[in-house]
Amino acid sequence: MTFRTVVIISLCLSVGLAWIIESGATDVFLEATRPDFQKIPLAVAGIDNIGGADSPEGRIRLGNRIEEILKADVRRSLVFSLVDLPGLGIKVGNLGTGPNPEFKKAAEQGVSVIVWGKAGMTNDAKDPDVNMDGYVYDAGSNEMVGGKRYAGSTSVVRLMAHRFADELVFRYTGEPGIARTKIAYVSEQGSARELFVMDYDGHDSRQLTADGFLNLMPRWSPDRRFIVFTAYRNRNTQNIDMIELATGKRWTLVSLSGLNITPALSPDGNFLAFASSHEGNSELYSLDTRTKAMQRLTVHAGGDLSPSWAPSGRELVFASDRSGGPQIFLMSMDGTNVRRLTFEGDYNAAPAWSPRGNWIAYVCRSPKKEYKICLITPDGQKRVQLTAGPGVDDSPSWSPDGRHLVFSSTAGGKSQIYMINADGKDLERITFTGTHNSAPAWSPAS
Amino acid sequence: MKRLQSAMCVPLIFGSIMLGLSGCSSKAIQSGGDSQPAQQGAAKGSDEGGVSQNIPDTSFSGQDGLRGLDKNPSEERVGGNTLTAKADPGSASRQMEEIRAEQAASAAAGLRDVFFAYDSFAISEEGRQVLARNAEWIKSNPGVYVKVEGHCDERGTSAYNLVLGEKRAKAARNYLVELGVAPKQLSIVSYGKERPVCTEHAESCYSQNRRGHVVVKTGK
Repeated sequence: MTFRTVVIISLCLSVGLAWIIESGATDVFLEATRPDFQKIPLAVAGIDNIGGADSPEGRIRLGNRIEEILKADVRRSLVFSLVDLPGLGIKVGNLGTGPNPEFKKAAEQGVSVIVWGKAGMTNDAKDPDVNMDGYVYDAGSNEMVGGKRYAGSTSVVRLMAHRFADELVFRYTGEPGIARTKIAYVSEQGSARELFVMDYDGHDSRQLTADGFLNLMPRWSPDRRFIVFTAYRNRNTQNIDMIELATGKRWTLVSLSGLNITPALSPDGNFLAFASSHEGNSELYSLDTRTKAMQRLTVHAGGDLSPSWAPSGRELVFASDRSGGPQIFLMSMDGTNVRRLTFEGDYNAAPAWSPRGNWIAYVCRSPKKEYKICLITPDGQKRVQLTAGPGVDDSPSWSPDGRHLVFSSTAGGKSQIYMINADGKDLERITFTGTHNSAPAWSPAS
Repeated sequence: MKRLQSAMCVPLIFGSIMLGLSGCSSKAIQSGGDSQPAQQGAAKGSDEGGVSQNIPDTSFSGQDGLRGLDKNPSEERVGGNTLTAKADPGSASRQMEEIRAEQAASAAAGLRDVFFAYDSFAISEEGRQVLARNAEWIKSNPGVYVKVEGHCDERGTSAYNLVLGEKRAKAARNYLVELGVAPKQLSIVSYGKERPVCTEHAESCYSQNRRGHVVVKTGK
């Protein structure tokens, strides 16, 4: 076998592996660095108001509200680039159910997709129903390629816009989109810290726990129905609890002595990895959720914590201070094949493996002793510091499409939650109220 | 030779695609938003603690999927946002009462906190003196239970600070035992950086938060 053959075979292998890890999707690294990456130019021509209905909140026209939410979703999708039709000198009048004659002009100027629709409310004063229609014009076929009709209560207006945005992403990428995803987080309530869940854009936050003490570090189940977290049920002991979002029902999964922290469910939901100090110092364990068998994964005098699963479910990344300050390590899911991943800096912790597999985000201490978000490839070959400036950044968590991260930061004074693209662009603060919001965890997509 | 190489490449990639896709195929099996919750959890955490024998199934159910665009779309009823917190309003005030009781008892006993250097869980000379005085009181009150809470400043991750807080609490506890305090009178807990006494982003504040808080345990 010639050298060239070896190279080609290994190339084939790595392409194959990339396919497994990314499940056929675009590579975020290429996206971030390839200058020729083309987003799909999309214009939102407008969501007309029908029936003269006003939204209950702030007398803003319902259609305009939906349009605004939809545009924000389209922009954050990173699949589309949002085109402003008036900016191209194109003015559409009233929009019907068919494509507007002006759409063809927009198509000639390079717009690939135009969406429009209408929204209104029924006249039932007590319990009005919201209706929204959305249509999609595709420049390639020069016709309306499809649409959606939604109905629901006034409380789901944002969700309608999000659903439509996700349908657009689904149509053009085959991926479900992130507009209907949620972020679980910890919010200070008086002197207590409780679990909350909000939409991915920071809206519609809901309180999940009200224990009056500490609930920390939430993580989602793969089916989005449950959250596992660190709970201080009586101030003196920590348990790993699980809560069902729809019902608020609680389970205590792990109540060993000492620390029981940083739970993480495997991508198939069959294993719960967590750290516990019941055998001395903090070690990692894996609990088979079907057989309830617990396996110790690490054996070391140093503290091991913060496990995060590879999307394949076959490996874990974790933090350990076995070599002095905390560093990032990798191992197989049975605890074998442990190797150190980070060597730069004396403090690297809170790793989070990207759902696409190609990056691991973590908290790194910069040469200026600032705690920032860094990214590293699982082979350790590439490392990027994603955030900069003052403030303590913590708890990076990936969007299910691997294109964004959320994290907490004290950059603005109080700890708040921020979103950032995986290429470091579009830093956006998403929590604005409260004294302390932290530990964001992005839900899987559905 | 060239043809052979590409022929080898195809099955490799194809096999990999199949592997990659097989994980998704189970997604569409179940549908329907409000699926039935699994069993109610028992295992409330006995004194010995352990692992629950009752864990709900969390594997993929693929609810709430997208249905795709349609030229003649039928109406989709949008539900959702159904999650409700089972808030226990009494719990927060109970916790506050217990914390106040602990603080009052600890102040009356004259127990003092021990402070730590940045990134460190070593007991300083000053810390030894504080713990020595605490030890005297604990030894002369064999009926009381004392808890050492490990706390950290806001720098670093929430998770690692829980580990560091435990190391601080353990260091203080171990020194108290060295001084002759009965181990059964002592317990530890780590709060990491989650219960700061001071919230400024400055060393003057950080140094107050890096502490082993020694309290008389009044509740469970």
